Amino acid sequence: MEGELWALGAESKIIRAVWQERPVAIKSRVVKPYLLADIDELLRRQRTARECKMLTYARSLGIPTPAVYFIDRRNNAIVMDFIEGEQLKEVAQHADIALLEQLCSKFGTMIGYLHRGKVVHGDPTTSNVIVDPMGKLWMVDFGLAEWNATVEMMGVDLHLVHRALETTHWDRQDTMLDAFLEGYSSVMGAAAAAVLSRMEEIRERGRYH
Amino acid sequence: MALISLGLEGTAHSFGAGIVTSNGEVLSNVWDMLLPKEGGIHPREASQHHAELGPDIISRAFDEAGISPNEIDIVAFSRGPGLGPCLRVTATMARAISLALKVPLVGVNHCVAHVEIGCFESGFDDPVTVYVSGGNTQIIAFAGGRFRTFGETLDIAIGNMLDTFGRIVGMRFPAGPIVERQAKEGSKYYPLPYSVKGMDLSYSGMLTAAKKLYDDGVPLEDICFSVQETAFGMLGEIAERAIAHTKKRELLLTGGVARNNRLTEILEGVAARHGAQFHRVSPPLAGDQGAMIAWTGLLQHQAGDHLEVSESYVLPKWRTDAQDIIWRS
Ligand SMILES: Nc1ncnc2c1ncn2[C@@H]1O[C@H](COP(=O)(O)OP(=O)(O)OP(=O)(O)O)[C@@H](O)[C@H]1O
Ligand SMILES: [Mg+2]
Repeated sequence: MEGELWALGAESKIIRAVWQERPVAIKSRVVKPYLLADIDELLRRQRTARECKMLTYARSLGIPTPAVYFIDRRNNAIVMDFIEGEQLKEVAQHADIALLEQLCSKFGTMIGYLHRGKVVHGDPTTSNVIVDPMGKLWMVDFGLAEWNATVEMMGVDLHLVHRALETTHWDRQDTMLDAFLEGYSSVMGAAAAAVLSRMEEIRERGRYH
Repeated sequence: MALISLGLEGTAHSFGAGIVTSNGEVLSNVWDMLLPKEGGIHPREASQHHAELGPDIISRAFDEAGISPNEIDIVAFSRGPGLGPCLRVTATMARAISLALKVPLVGVNHCVAHVEIGCFESGFDDPVTVYVSGGNTQIIAFAGGRFRTFGETLDIAIGNMLDTFGRIVGMRFPAGPIVERQAKEGSKYYPLPYSVKGMDLSYSGMLTAAKKLYDDGVPLEDICFSVQETAFGMLGEIAERAIAHTKKRELLLTGGVARNNRLTEILEGVAARHGAQFHRVSPPLAGDQGAMIAWTGLLQHQAGDHLEVSESYVLPKWRTDAQDIIWRS
């Protein structure tokens, strides 16, 4: 399959191609020569398999994700629908406040749906959310996702959202976090409180004092 | 004329005094470390160590620098983050010096100082910094006027993990170098939990699993090899995410664990993949010491950032990203 290099992530390359007359994204996890080969192979295999299953499972929980067409196990590659649009990371830089709040609230509901289904995303940053031209949000990059999520795992997921906002969207982080948590809580209901307080607790850890 | 700065470091088990000039000369850098007993650092014992040895370490710093105390222009101290009792003892010494010599007092963030001394040594402008020590594991980069923590450990620090593992298998403190030597003899990889979450990571699961391998009689050199490959591989991965994410062109390795050659090799590999420059901070400036406090204090002083003695309470939980870095644009 021919295509153009679309994005070079930290662990993969995304090629945009056409397959059976539809635009597809081919995500392949490339070798990391600095890792021990045993570890590298295991990770690429595990994460490819996991991402493939999770893209489908997440959709069953109500989160828009690209449809998977096939998986090339030899190259640890996944062929999925190409989602036209812009990363939430970019949109957040130029959107007005009202739009920003609406998008972040939507992002919050998506993570809420995942958590309600006992799944954590594992890398819930604004570069892993695509906003399509209709304003609909899609989630990608499920290689670090996990099933059977505990409150601790969900707390970590929210902590990672918080972290992504403070490092990447520092000038708008308060607006974005408030809107995100509003959306999240609206889906999680009473279960949100325990996860939120765990998130705060996690922020304080990792420091030895 | 060049300014002369005295820096006092005392956030955990080390106390250090360093003297640095605004021309970038390190005139002296003296320190002493309290060897932790079973179970890690005892805050009160460490603060007693600082109180007892501090005055002598400071006078040795003056002797080695060949200057007299009244030649200094500022005194800087590690204001946080760290252990409360240690911070207070160190701050008390700094305040006394500031009042006695009538020189300005500057409060420095310990983690920021590790980054700034690394930039000082490497000449880097704007790196992604991997800061790894007994008490810290952080990926730090400058963005929007602050040093932001892009990733860190969710439980124990890498140095703490290595030392704890070492203690269990009967190595003396610090175990990091012994683990490194043993790992060179090992070659068989035993899978250990590899736990990366976004740009954060976790070491407690692999520590438990490594203990179990030891109990099962797996050769120590193979466990050390597997521990290093897993623990440093995870760090390499989050460093790579930070580089890919920030698009910065420099990668800096600092902190006590920077001495490890395998970790260095992995991070060199990460930098090479992204066409970034790499620098490992040399051992005398990588650990906890006063020169980094003195140097960062100078940067703050020159930008007009001082502390009134009456306001100079310590900040045990001072986050890396809570300080406006007014000396960088
Ligand atoms: N199906 C898709 N359609 C359109 N764009 C996509 C698709 N999948 C991924 N992308 C784009 O490519 C980028 C990288 O993809 P992805 O996040 O899956 O890779 P990664 O290597 O895991 O990324 P990271 O750098 O976060 O580790 C995404 O941020 C997204 O903008
Ligand atoms: Mg991604």
